[in-house]
Amino acid sequence: MQATTYGVIQLLKEDLSMKKKVLSLLLSTAMVASVLSGCAVSTDTGASTGTGTTEATDAASESTTETAAATGDEEEITWMFWDDLDATEDLITKGYKEVIDRYNETYKGKYHCNVITTNLEEYDTKLNALVAADQTPDVFICNPGPNLTQYVDAGIAQDLTDILQNQESDWYGTFTDGIFERITYDGKIMAVPTNFAAACVFYNTDIFKEAGAEVPATYEELLAACEKIKAAGYAPISCSAGTTWCLSMVAGYLCDREGGPDNLQGITDGTLDWTDPTFINAGTKLKELSQYFQETAAGDSNDQATANFYNGEAAMLVQGSWAIAQINGNNPDFEDHCGVFQFPAIEGGADPNRMIVKTDNLVLSSKTQHQEAALALMKMFTDDTAQKYTAEVGGKIPVTGVEIDFDKAPKQLSFIEDILANMTGTFGFYNESLASVEAGDVFDNAMVDVFLGNATPEEAFQKVQDFYDKNVR
Amino acid sequence: MERILRDKKAIVIFLAPAFIIFTLILVVPIIQVIYYSLCDYNALTPPKFVGLSNYVSLFTADDTMRIALKNSIFFMLFSAISQQIFGLVLAVLLTNIKKGRNFFKNIYYLPCVLSSAALGLLWAFMFNPKMGLNQILAVFGIKGPLWLMESSGFIPLPMWVIAFVALWQYLGQTMMLYMAQITGISTELYEASYIDGASRAKTFRYITLPLIKPMFVTTLSLNCIGSLKFFDLVYNMTQGGPNNRTHVLATHLYEQGFKYFKYGYASAISIVLLVMCLIVTLIINKSVKIEDYEM
Repeated sequence: MQATTYGVIQLLKEDLSMKKKVLSLLLSTAMVASVLSGCAVSTDTGASTGTGTTEATDAASESTTETAAATGDEEEITWMFWDDLDATEDLITKGYKEVIDRYNETYKGKYHCNVITTNLEEYDTKLNALVAADQTPDVFICNPGPNLTQYVDAGIAQDLTDILQNQESDWYGTFTDGIFERITYDGKIMAVPTNFAAACVFYNTDIFKEAGAEVPATYEELLAACEKIKAAGYAPISCSAGTTWCLSMVAGYLCDREGGPDNLQGITDGTLDWTDPTFINAGTKLKELSQYFQETAAGDSNDQATANFYNGEAAMLVQGSWAIAQINGNNPDFEDHCGVFQFPAIEGGADPNRMIVKTDNLVLSSKTQHQEAALALMKMFTDDTAQKYTAEVGGKIPVTGVEIDFDKAPKQLSFIEDILANMTGTFGFYNESLASVEAGDVFDNAMVDVFLGNATPEEAFQKVQDFYDKNVR
Repeated sequence: MERILRDKKAIVIFLAPAFIIFTLILVVPIIQVIYYSLCDYNALTPPKFVGLSNYVSLFTADDTMRIALKNSIFFMLFSAISQQIFGLVLAVLLTNIKKGRNFFKNIYYLPCVLSSAALGLLWAFMFNPKMGLNQILAVFGIKGPLWLMESSGFIPLPMWVIAFVALWQYLGQTMMLYMAQITGISTELYEASYIDGASRAKTFRYITLPLIKPMFVTTLSLNCIGSLKFFDLVYNMTQGGPNNRTHVLATHLYEQGFKYFKYGYASAISIVLLVMCLIVTLIINKSVKIEDYEM
């Protein structure tokens, strides 16, 4: 808008003899323009603000969803989350909204929680901007891995060890064993998980039957199944390269099936190079597999790829179990036609019973003025009501030992529980297990390049190696 | 009035608000940024002075920076040329039609008034393979390209798409400025030329063109600077992807700063951007000579 105003001033300077009418018209247009663009960046505290059009350049702008009006004399805290609580169809998000409503109801007159929401793609950027502006939300959701590490390193995340193990040991006792493993740094617990998800292959049983395809246990069988499904006129696999981590998750599975736990460990320790044959093979297989992706895979977003699957256009979807909430939320009829199998083994490769898992975590800001209120919120996220909802409605795995009624829960969840029973080990998303957020992006981008055919697997992994040589080792 | 202007105190008082605000929101931050660009700074811990190393890695080791520079320069050239041509043509056409002039003027200016973040999303939907343009093409049996994901070529297709959308959005502004200038030309000049038997084309060449030259400098500077620091549409349509191929300087800066917390490095990019803007403005102002005419 500056530009227009500047232009008008220039006009004034350079052309004094201009007719007044034209000038006033220009000026008023400029004013209207600045008013309109002003609206776009203003902080909106309305009850049902969308998140799609948030002005990215304005770090401080945020859409605040107030679930119930604060009375003013309550202690107010903020919680930041990566989905809109009102506009969503996602069942897990709806569960979170219930928690917030319940919190504001239970502690009425004492505490009140305001929610800042963004869409998933912009979450980290927005949160980082708030942190940099010293407006860190009291509690925020965070991925494990370098994302959390950067907040821990910067001292943004509060050390919860003492609180959990001593002051609130009853609360700590409700969590399942080992759940804190990936969010513990040097023996210090830095976050509290709210749910747990494992990445599997979801498949459409109807399409499989129609095409005469078998549930594959190995990579070769997977290719054979894809071939049959393609012949039957469906897209075999729905995948998103537009949302890079979706493609990167498939790549991560292939890397692990090729080389096993030694691969990530070797990269972390600096004993293994990205140019190792196991990585190159994984890249080659990714390229091979990608010929079975839906035609628009390169441009589709995560949501579109998932929609392809639950609308019955594609036969398989490689996703975390968080997708259950999205699938069943958008197309409830699909539940009976949706099966789950674990990512196939690679013959001659490593242990095929390892799974990509991930927790959603709550981080308490180290600068919060309302620790009591914030802890009360975090407890509510992990109490029996919330955790039962997580499993029975959302289809994600609870983080506490709460009893679940599997008859009520989505069918897919029990399939996943069956797979988990045979699980021998877990690993994180590749892009969330590397040295930094940027390193994760470099890996993601390299995989997108392989998929688009812009680089051979050798060239792509060489790029990741170059990044590591320059920045990490 | 004149007495007031002779009073030094009054001058100071009148200038103070603008001067203070200008210093606070422009000069101070620029100096800060220059300092940060020489530091290793992540905004969470105090900046650590590292000399020119940010600039060195920017120009020697950063592939994305090279892409961003190339894209920004492409964007600048494309916008400058296309906006000048189409903006002027539209302005001339619109000043010469009698009916519906205001109507068309508003139509062409409308996109300029709308928020470019919203427009970016809108166009992203239009070019999405599942909706919009490709669906229309499919009706005619044409398989549309992946408008925003195609990654081959020196200037990849998404850059052309974004440049086109930017042209559509900001064309109205250039047109408006030219129209203002053309309307300011005295009708007597035109009348005199018609009496002398000049054709329309000749009138345009010998009267309109020379008289709108000052506006040429203004609009060209605006186009160039505006497109060098362009951000919104790129960020909303491709976020720099696929694989950083559609980054421009401003999005690269944003990603380095707000995504990877490399504020020092991002500051260095912003200084490069600032210097580029200054150079371009200087070149434009030096290379176009403006003669003053009585109008």
